[in-house]
Formats: sequence, C-alpha cells, structure tokens
Amino acid sequence: TCLWKKETNTLDVAEVESRIKALCQQFPHGITDQVIQNDMPHLEPQQRAMAINKLLSLGQLDLLRNSSGLLYRMKDIQSTSKMKGSDNQEKLVYQVIEDAGNKGIWSRDIRFKSNLPLTEVNKILKNLESKKLIKAVKSVAVSFKILNVKMQRCEVSPLTRRWTFDQDFESEFVEVLNQQCFKFLQSKAEAARDNKQSPMVQRNSSFATSHEVWKYICELGISKVDLSMDDIETILNTLIYDGKVEMTVIAAKEGTVGSVDGTPCGLCPVFDDCHEGGEISPSNCIYMAEWLDF
Amino acid sequence: MTSQGVRLCSLLLREHFGEVVEKVGTHLLRGGAQNLRTIIHETGISLDLVKKSLCVLVQHGACVFSSGRKGPGSPTEYRTSCDWILRILRYPRYIYTAKTLYGDTGELIIEELLQRGHLTMSSTVKTVADRLTQNMEEGCCMDYNEVSSAFAKLVETHFLQRCPSMVGPGTTASATPSFPDCYKVPHITLVGRGKRQLCGEDGEDQRNTKKAKTDSQVSTHGDEGICWQVNFERFHLHFRDQAIISAVANKLDQTSSEIVRTMLRMSEVTTSPTAAYTKPLSANEIFRSLPTSYNIPRPILDQYLTLLVDDPMEFVGKSGESGGGMYVVNLHRALANLARATLESVVQERFGSRSARIFRLLLRKRHLEQKQVEDFAMIPAKEAKDMLYTLLSENLVQLQEIPKTPDFAPSRTFYLYTVNQLPTARMLLQNCYKTVGNLIERRLFESKESKRLLEKSQRIEAILASLQASGAEPEQLTEVEEMITATEKQQLEALRLHINKLDSAENQVDESIFLIESYVTSTASTMIV
Repeated sequence: TCLWKKETNTLDVAEVESRIKALCQQFPHGITDQVIQNDMPHLEPQQRAMAINKLLSLGQLDLLRNSSGLLYRMKDIQSTSKMKGSDNQEKLVYQVIEDAGNKGIWSRDIRFKSNLPLTEVNKILKNLESKKLIKAVKSVAVSFKILNVKMQRCEVSPLTRRWTFDQDFESEFVEVLNQQCFKFLQSKAEAARDNKQSPMVQRNSSFATSHEVWKYICELGISKVDLSMDDIETILNTLIYDGKVEMTVIAAKEGTVGSVDGTPCGLCPVFDDCHEGGEISPSNCIYMAEWLDF
Repeated sequence: MTSQGVRLCSLLLREHFGEVVEKVGTHLLRGGAQNLRTIIHETGISLDLVKKSLCVLVQHGACVFSSGRKGPGSPTEYRTSCDWILRILRYPRYIYTAKTLYGDTGELIIEELLQRGHLTMSSTVKTVADRLTQNMEEGCCMDYNEVSSAFAKLVETHFLQRCPSMVGPGTTASATPSFPDCYKVPHITLVGRGKRQLCGEDGEDQRNTKKAKTDSQVSTHGDEGICWQVNFERFHLHFRDQAIISAVANKLDQTSSEIVRTMLRMSEVTTSPTAAYTKPLSANEIFRSLPTSYNIPRPILDQYLTLLVDDPMEFVGKSGESGGGMYVVNLHRALANLARATLESVVQERFGSRSARIFRLLLRKRHLEQKQVEDFAMIPAKEAKDMLYTLLSENLVQLQEIPKTPDFAPSRTFYLYTVNQLPTARMLLQNCYKTVGNLIERRLFESKESKRLLEKSQRIEAILASLQASGAEPEQLTEVEEMITATEKQQLEALRLHINKLDSAENQVDESIFLIESYVTSTASTMIV
C-alpha cells in the first residue's frame, strides 16, 4: 500500500494533461469532471484543477457550462485559427457581440460589458469589421449610433430597421403603403358622399383618424413588420405633400384650371434654345410635328 | 416689357393689322412714350402710314396719347403697353363668354365691337341685325329692337362702356374711363329690321343702295359721337369669378359652388376690381338671393358656409357676427391658390410626381435642409438629391445660405432650399408667352408651306360655286372636283387638323396666362409698400 501511494504522488503533470486531452478527443461533445475522475481515480482534485487551468490558458480547451456542471471540450482548430492573431481584447469583444445573438448590440453597450475605453473599442470594432466577422448596420431613426451584428442573417427588428435596407429607404414598400392609405381614405369619402345626409355629417364621416388608418393597414397584413402610429403618420404626410389628401380628408384633387402642357413646349428639354430662325425653332420642331400628327 | 412679351405682341399685331402697324407698335413697346416725329424718324416709315397705324392702335385701345412731358404746348406723346396688346389673344374667349351669357345676339355684338374697336350703338345694331338675318330662314328678319335690348343688357352689366370723349388737345386720355355717363344707354330712334343681303341680283342691289341712302338722310338716330367699346376689365373679373367657382365645385360640391356664385354675383358692382376681398355679405342676404331652384333650408346654408370657411383653401372668410354672420370671398387668396395649383401641375407634368411632391413640400414648409427634405418626402437620398438639383437648375427652387461664421465656410453654413411663389410665377408667365409665340409661328409656317395647295383649292371652290350658280350638269362638277387629287385632299385635311390643334392650344395656354397674370397683378396691388 505504501508503494501505491508513492506511485500516484509521482504522476506527471504533463501526463495528466495529455490524458485529459486524449479523453476530450475521445468524447468530442465534451467531458465533465466526473469523467476525468473515473479515468484517473488516483488524481487529486487540486492537481486536476491545475492541469485543466493550464490547458485553458493555452487555449487548447474550451470551458462550457451545461445543466449538470462544467464541460471541457477540445477547442476547434478552425475556431482557433479564426481568432489567431487577435489578442485577448478582440476575443473578448467578439464574445460579447456573439452573446448578444441576432438582435445586435449598441457600441456603448459593448463598452460597458467589456470595460474597455472607447478608443480601444472603436479600434477593435474596425479590425473585426475588416476581418468580416461583424457588420455595422445604420438605423434610420438614430443614425449616429452604430449597431454591430454578426455576419450571418439579420432579423428585421421593428425598432431599428423599419424603413431601411442597406441604409436606404425601401421605396417600394413606402409606395405600396402610400397607395393603400390613399385607397382607404378614398373609399371612406365615397361612402360618405353616397350617404347624402347634411353636408356637415358627410364631411365628418369622410374623416378617418390616423388610428383607423393604422388599424386598417395592420389588418391588411401587407407588411411583415409591425408599424406604429408614427410610421403611419409619416406616410400620411407624404400623401399630403402629394396634394391628394388633406389633414381633413377631401378625396378630390383641387381643380387645376388650365395647364400649359397641352402643348409640347411645356415638356421640351431645349425650350430655352428655341428661337425663330435658329437651328431649333418652332418651324422645324420635331416634337411639335409629332404632337400635331397624333 | 419683357423680350418674350414684345415678341408675342409683334406676332399678334402682324397677324391682325399687318406689318406696318406691327413695326410702329413694336417700336412704341420698346421705346416707351414717344412723339410723332421720333416715331417717323426711327422707324423710317412715311408720315401718313405712321398716322394711320397710330389711328388703328388707338381705335383698338392698344395705344393712348397724352400731352407731352415737357409741359403744355409740346407735342403729344403716344404710349402703349404689352397688356393691352395681349388682350388680342383673348378675343375668342370674350366672344364665347358673351355667347354663353347673352346668346347669339350678344356674341355678334361683341364680335363687331372687337373687330372695329369703337362703334356707335346704331351702326352696331344695324350690322348685327343684318348678319343675324343672313343666317335665318327665308322670310324671317331680325328686328332692331331685339338687338337694341341685348345691347342695353350688355351695357347694364358693364360689359360695354362708352368711349371717353376727346375734348381738346390739352386733355389726358386714360385707358380706363370711369366718368358718370360711362354706362348710360343713349336714347336712339332706330326702327326697322335687318336686311338680307342678296347676291347676283343687280336690280335689287341698286334699289337697296338707294333705299340705304335715303334712310341715312332721313334719320340720324340721335347718338352721333357716342362710341362704345368693350370693357375688358369687366370680362376679366368675370373670368376670375368663373375660375373660383369651378375650383370650389371641383374641391367641394355643386351646392357650395352655387353659394359662392351667388356671393360673387351680389358683389359684382360693389367691389372694386383690385380689391382683395369682396364686401362683407350677411348670411341673411345670401339666403334671400340664392336661386329658387336650390331649396336649401337656412340651417343647411349655415353649415355650408361654415364648411367653406373651414376649408384650407380659404375661399371664403368670416368677418363678423352681425346679420347671422358676415362672409367675404377672399379673392386674393383664391387667386394665389389657383396660381399655386398651376405651378404645381407644371412641375408635375415636367418632372414627375415625386419632384412635384418635393415642390409642394417646400411650398408648405418654406425653408428646409436637404436632409429634412429627404425625411419628409420619404424619397431615397440619392434620388431626392438628383431631383432637387434638377429643380434648382431650372430655377424653380432657390438656395438660401445661412452662415454660422462670418466667412461663408461651406462646412459651417446652413443651406436651405426654398420656393418663392411670386418670382416663380413670373418666370412661368414668360415661358407661357414664349410658348404661345412658338405656336403662332408654327401655325404661320404650316400655312406658308402649303400656300400653293391652299390657293389651288380656293380657285377650285370658286369655279365650283360659279358653275353651280349657272346651273351646270353633274358631270362638269365632278370633273372640276377631280382636279384636286386624293393625296392633295389628304394633305389639306391634315393641314386643317394641324391648324385647329394649334389654335385650340393657344387658347388653352391663354387660360394659364390669365390666371398667372391676375395673380401677379393682384399681389402687386395688395402688397404693403
């Protein structure tokens, strides 16, 4: 028995490490403390902890936690090469962003979580972006904050990506909403007119509050994204600027009495160069000739 | 006197009065008030031609004369203005309005007066009666009394006015007379009926001329020396009212436009032409004057009036509470809105609806930065920038710089886009003048090209007419008709279509010209100096 004890005492640290590594390779999903203990029952917990710490600091083991305890896993060669050349700070920032998942994270929050100064964080973010590991997305609402999201798919969050796709307005989407709101208001005005009651009632019933318009658009379900009342109001504003709608709804356009543009001169691109006797003149105007033969 | 205005005036003068009058008129337009000797010297035309041209211009109200600026005794000076000559463009519209208001009789009266410039009542009545009789069936004649009563009605509503009498060389003639007898119809003794003009009967012709001679010897009709002219201002007021009424009808509904029409009719003679508002009318008065076909109960009328007042177009305003509410028609505001709609439609036609959106946005919000324009209009940044720069290069939109520092460093300056309605309207007006000038030139060009063809067709028509009158056989007629080939007939038809199209386009553009001109004059007169 004395001999036994002596033998365990002289167990090499390096051997322990290699044994643990072999175990990890045997179980690629990860090994728990229990497994190591079963394999090397004579190993003391202190020695085991030392070996594991050494492997962790060398970056050859990954420490994970699951429901039953700690897991040790062989670190993926690929993932090590991914972060090769990046120092610990970059790794830390990357970890923080990864933890935020698909929603992304504000740069201010990265600073808080990693406790790094602002200049450092910005430099690191630029590096990571050039390595194409993260992506910055601008939001239309708050354009001076930078949002960092992982390179993979991005979820459209209502808060940040309502109108933007690649830093621009989704013009088709806006157009469609524009049309739908206008149609809704128009049908309301027609219904009111057909009612043939006193003019005040007619006019009041042809109103639609922005709440009603918002409800209608939501029910239509043409947008996968939830829109808020403010969004609907900006759309209604564009309709006002189109002259189609007023704050108090009247569906008819105001009468445009006469227009210059029954004639081609109104649309002519060389209007200013046109003189009698010149190269471009009414007598030899091709636009006029076309229009006359129409 | 802008260059485009002068060009258009000279085209109009040439078409209606000939080249000599055109030369004299253009010279007066360009040179301001001048006396006879200067005109002769600078245009190189002989004395009596110049005298005759000036007579023509004065007769048609395009030119006025006044005593010289150097004091009494200096030669009279002659003066003309673009506006007076540009009225010629609007003659068809005046005639058409008279037709809608007073029927064929009114139409012909106005036509005669426009053609002759100044005319006495009796000669007008006679000529019009003869022309109407011409178009009536055999055996019917137009009675002079009917024509006289139509004439009197036109004078009552101020569409016609007396020409101011020229007392002596020392008086100043103004273009808009408003002396007390301006609208008094003289008592004339004119009995008879229109004479039908018969052709080809020499014997009857002789008898007719003899009869006419004896007629003029017998009765002098009692109105010698009292000439009448068309009151253009009144027609313009009428057009303006029409524009407002149709805008209200488009915007709201028929009943509201009837109410506005009644209000305008009631203030026709009590409001001066340059007023910004009509005189206040109480709701009671409006209710009483509504046409009986519109059976609107009183409370509904009140509701309509409230709606009109609340409308953002601001056609009608409320000025007090007495008499059930005092209401005025905001003439100046209505004109400004109509002009604004014209501007917006021009931008829309020329540059597309999104540029029009930006234009309307800038009109509403006055001054905006580029970023704000993009946000409000919800147009992607690249496209919005492009559209703004196009509008800027066409001078429809202006840039206002507001510096933060005394050196206008670009990084420290605000650049705001803005639209000024009045200068933009003026610019558009010049474009309209140029457009009408182009249309007239094109029309003259097309007729000149096909001159030979037109002459040929006229000759053939004359031959046909004479053959028919002398009772030729059908084969001879067809033979003559075949002298025009089918292709030539086609060409003639195409030419006729072209010229009609150009004519109607001229009238259309003139409507826009009228709107913008009224807006500009109305703003100029209501501006606080």
